[in-house]
Amino acid sequence: MIAAPNRWAEARQEAGRAIAALLVALIVAFVIVLSTSSEPAEAFRTLLTAPMSSNRTRGYWIDDVAKLTLTGLAFSLVFQARQFALGVQGQAYVGGLAAALVALSPVGLTPLAIPVGMLAAMLAGAAYGFLPGYAKARFGASEIVSSLMLNYIAIRMVNYAIRTQLAPPGTGQLTSPEFPPQAVFPAIVPGTRFDLGIVIALVAVGVVWFLLYRTAWGLKLRLVGHNAQFAEYAGIRANAIMVSAMTVSGAIGGLLGSVFVQGKAFGRIAIDFDGNLAFEGILIAIVARSKPLAVPFVALAYGYLRQGAQLMGMRSDVPMEMIAVVQALVILLVASQFTLPGRKALARLFGRKETAT
Amino acid sequence: MTPIIQASNIGKVYPGGTVANDAVNLTVMPGEVHAVVGENGAGKSTLMKILFGMEQPTAGTLRMEGREVTFPGPRAAIDAGIGMVFQHFSLIPTFSVYENVVLGAEPRAGIRFDRKKAISDVRALSEKFRLKVDPLPPVGAIPVGQQQRVEILKALYRNARVLILDEPTAVLAPQEVEELFVALRALVAQGRTVIFIAHKLPEVLAISDRITVMRGGRTVGEVIASEVTERSLANLMVGREVALRVDRSQTDGPLRCAVEGLRLVAENGVTLAEDLTLNVHGGEILGLVGVEGNGQAELLEAIAGLRQAAAGRIALEGAEVGTLSVLDRRGHGLASIPEDRLAKGLAPGATVAENLVATRLDGPRFVRRGILDLKAIRDQAVNLIERFSIRVGGPDFTVDTLSGGNMQKVVVARELAEQPKVLLVNQPTRGVDLGATQFIWKSITDARDRGAAVLLSSADLSELLALSDRLVVFYRGRIVAAFLNSDGLTPELLGSYMLGLEKQDPATLKAALR
Repeated sequence: MIAAPNRWAEARQEAGRAIAALLVALIVAFVIVLSTSSEPAEAFRTLLTAPMSSNRTRGYWIDDVAKLTLTGLAFSLVFQARQFALGVQGQAYVGGLAAALVALSPVGLTPLAIPVGMLAAMLAGAAYGFLPGYAKARFGASEIVSSLMLNYIAIRMVNYAIRTQLAPPGTGQLTSPEFPPQAVFPAIVPGTRFDLGIVIALVAVGVVWFLLYRTAWGLKLRLVGHNAQFAEYAGIRANAIMVSAMTVSGAIGGLLGSVFVQGKAFGRIAIDFDGNLAFEGILIAIVARSKPLAVPFVALAYGYLRQGAQLMGMRSDVPMEMIAVVQALVILLVASQFTLPGRKALARLFGRKETAT
Repeated sequence: MTPIIQASNIGKVYPGGTVANDAVNLTVMPGEVHAVVGENGAGKSTLMKILFGMEQPTAGTLRMEGREVTFPGPRAAIDAGIGMVFQHFSLIPTFSVYENVVLGAEPRAGIRFDRKKAISDVRALSEKFRLKVDPLPPVGAIPVGQQQRVEILKALYRNARVLILDEPTAVLAPQEVEELFVALRALVAQGRTVIFIAHKLPEVLAISDRITVMRGGRTVGEVIASEVTERSLANLMVGREVALRVDRSQTDGPLRCAVEGLRLVAENGVTLAEDLTLNVHGGEILGLVGVEGNGQAELLEAIAGLRQAAAGRIALEGAEVGTLSVLDRRGHGLASIPEDRLAKGLAPGATVAENLVATRLDGPRFVRRGILDLKAIRDQAVNLIERFSIRVGGPDFTVDTLSGGNMQKVVVARELAEQPKVLLVNQPTRGVDLGATQFIWKSITDARDRGAAVLLSSADLSELLALSDRLVVFYRGRIVAAFLNSDGLTPELLGSYMLGLEKQDPATLKAALR
């Protein structure tokens, strides 16, 4: 008799846990809104409904989902190999710069602008992801430290390049000129940010899933992640796997950069363009338990709340600081090993038998 | 007489629904050595944790000297006079012996720690109970056997009247076991009570007065030690007839593994082993005897390719493998069952099927152009699960849902899925129940009979004596003796070489090494 473990039950349980945390976070958010706003009901309504209020805001949301999915994937991949490389932000910057250089070159005027830009971004990101991996394998450098430092270097260097080289001289602008239309992703819903980015993100989900669960490389990577000592003993070159995982993750990070600058939201490269979104992939990956197929769903929910909070900041009198507090609370509650307190009491209250887990 | 401890109808159901104890009864009389025996997973540890207040029973009552008691935590149990010595010691290596003993209950002079009194207290205690140990050196510097005494002293210092020892002999050489038993008898003679958890039956019979047998979370009987035999006890434990003998090798095969003048050095420059020379032929099991940490494990690592040799050579099938990778050596027909299955032998979070192919991800059988052949992987898993009777729901369950014995079977199944030429085995049955032990032994001897050269290291001398065709003894990184296995070879004789009390002269040694 061969049984299969009940994956659906597991997934439901995980989802239930995340949703319960979300609800608690919303309650706390409501308390905060109540104590800081003169029109709390209105402000809270904005938080919950604003992202759905128009095509434009829906576009914001989906645009965020695409980007959050990509960064979540990049983090999931290294987390599955149990490498705590935090370099997605830096990879997005070098990737964004590479895509911008392609878009602003003569290639940017041809139909090849989009694919070549993406490819250049992925190569740049991969190279940037390779560095901390190599440093760890060769010299034992902690990937946490080296990838974080490389982030700073990338952000500052790219900002510097934009300000001094790409911005039109003498204007004091902090962005490059707009890319030619051939180099900008086509919109799926015209006039919104709902563009090719989400398609790219979903394809990336499929590709990462396939790599992890259907290739020998992916199995080796997961075995290294489960137990590196065992992998070595089994004859898997754990170091090589680690470096390659960080390189592939870097390519996804680079692709994120291309989606940023070539997407409808920008269509050019600006300084500090990621608004720290690249970093929030850590949260996405943690909540999704580094499972690529769960990443877009987490991104969908988190992106909605993120947009809602931003719109609440713009449209209501809730102070910006409190918006950040609410966001941080959501992260804290969802990411922690959270179970609803008093579940037993509730179960008794509703007369249901507590089911053994 | 009132029993000092009486547990009646103890039940323990874990939140996950696992029933660890079910209507367990244990009656311990004051002044006796009471053994609790059973296979792994029989519920011994759970019962002991309940007695020590680390787990709360979900049913049943606990009485001490007739009065009903509940222990919300170990503190309450200690206050009631129960002490426990775990298999893994909880000692601070850099602290001295006496500091470890009094830690948390230090004698004071005013607000100052009264060191003089602590030292003299510990010295007095160690003399009273014949647990010889010097109070002054740091615990990290004394041998394991003495560390165990420190643990016992710790409990006695807190006035433990009932001492629970969890598998105390697992880490000891035979002579040390004898000393432990002397101390336990001294304890009992002075009115203390000892509960002794074990699964080595000869020891249980040697030390205990009465024995409670557990199986599958229940108590299946209480017997008087002098009235049972090893065999009847084993049958009671397992619930069926067991045969703990294996047949000796009949063949004398070709030289498969040769080690010559091998020297192994730790990263910090300390020599772990030197001058190791031995040959292993197809169709024989060479037992590596020694107290843990004397170089056996390191030798196996070096042969497997996980440790670089500082000098000397290793040859498999006549070909030198000194610089080859782990994978290349596996390609030469090497298989290896490592010491610690959770640390090295398995990826606990991965599925059984994935664990079973982990060593063969570069061959064409399971991978085509980099893509996994999921069907082949699954088929092989189903096949191996059946062949090695691994108890698991199916190939897609993760390994961490399995019991210790079944985890070990996964390791054995993977390594023996294809007949190896050289098989390295380290602690194959540590923490594995009797049924699985029998099966694993059979698997190893089957591999030998099909021509594998086996190097076996084990902390369990009876295992080495049962399986090995020849034995070499390690002491401080050197081979100090070699024997052909025969019925005349006793654990005591091996023990005297293991502890460095005796040494074979070079000529005898050389002759026996072949």
